[in-house]
Amino acid sequence: MAEERFYELIFICRPDTPETDIDKVLSTLQQVVEEQKGRVEKVEKWGVRKLAYRIGKSREGFFVFLAIYGRQGEMIKELERRLKVSEPVLKYMTVRIDEELKRQRKLSERRERRLARRPRKTAGEPAAASG
Amino acid sequence: MSTTPVTPQHSGRSSHGSGPRPGGDRPRKPRRQYVRKRKVCRFCVDKVDYIDYKNAELLQTFILDRGKVIPRRITGTCARHQRWLKVAIKRARNIALLPFAAGA
Repeated sequence: MAEERFYELIFICRPDTPETDIDKVLSTLQQVVEEQKGRVEKVEKWGVRKLAYRIGKSREGFFVFLAIYGRQGEMIKELERRLKVSEPVLKYMTVRIDEELKRQRKLSERRERRLARRPRKTAGEPAAASG
Repeated sequence: MSTTPVTPQHSGRSSHGSGPRPGGDRPRKPRRQYVRKRKVCRFCVDKVDYIDYKNAELLQTFILDRGKVIPRRITGTCARHQRWLKVAIKRARNIALLPFAAGA
C-alpha cells in the first residue's frame, strides 16, 4: 500500500442549503474515507462567506473544510465523484499538501538548528539592514 | 554610399551594452543622488516556511484590485517566496477565496 498522504478538501455549498443537507454530504464523504482506509483529521465549517466571483448564480457560499489522511488515490477520486453528483455543492477542491508540509518542517528544523548553534544573531538573513 | 564592414559592427556593439542611450543621458548624470530604500521580502522577515492558500486576507495584499498578482519587483518578495505565493494564490482562486484577473 502506498504511503500515507495528507489532503485538504474544501467544498462550497449553496448558501441557502439547510445545515442538515450539508451534514448529509459530510457524512457520505466521511463514509467514503473510512471505506478507503483513510481517516478524517479535521472538519471545519467556515459558514457562509462571500465568493470572490460568481459560481452559478451564487455570490456567496457555505464553506466546509476537511483535512484527510489517505493512502489510495482512489479515495480522492471517489470523494470528488460524490461531490460532483451531490446537488447542493457548488464547487470543491482537493489539494495534496503533505510534501509542502514536509518541506516546511525541514526548513523550520534547519532554522532552529542554526539558531541553536549561533544564538548571537538571527541566522540566515543578509546583513544589509544595518541602519 | 557603400557600407563598410567595420562601421555597422562597431555601432551595433556600442548601442547594445554600456553605450549612452539616445535621449535619456543628460538628466541621468548624477547617478546616486538618492538611495532607494531597499525592499525586503516580508515572508523572509517573518520567517515563513509555508504560505497557506486559505489565508485570503494575507494573499489579498499581494494582488491588485483587478485580481492580478503584484510583481515581486514592486512588493520586494524574494524569488522563493513569490513562487510559493503564486501557488497559494492560484489555489485560493480555484476555491473562490480570491478573484481571477477580472472585474475592475
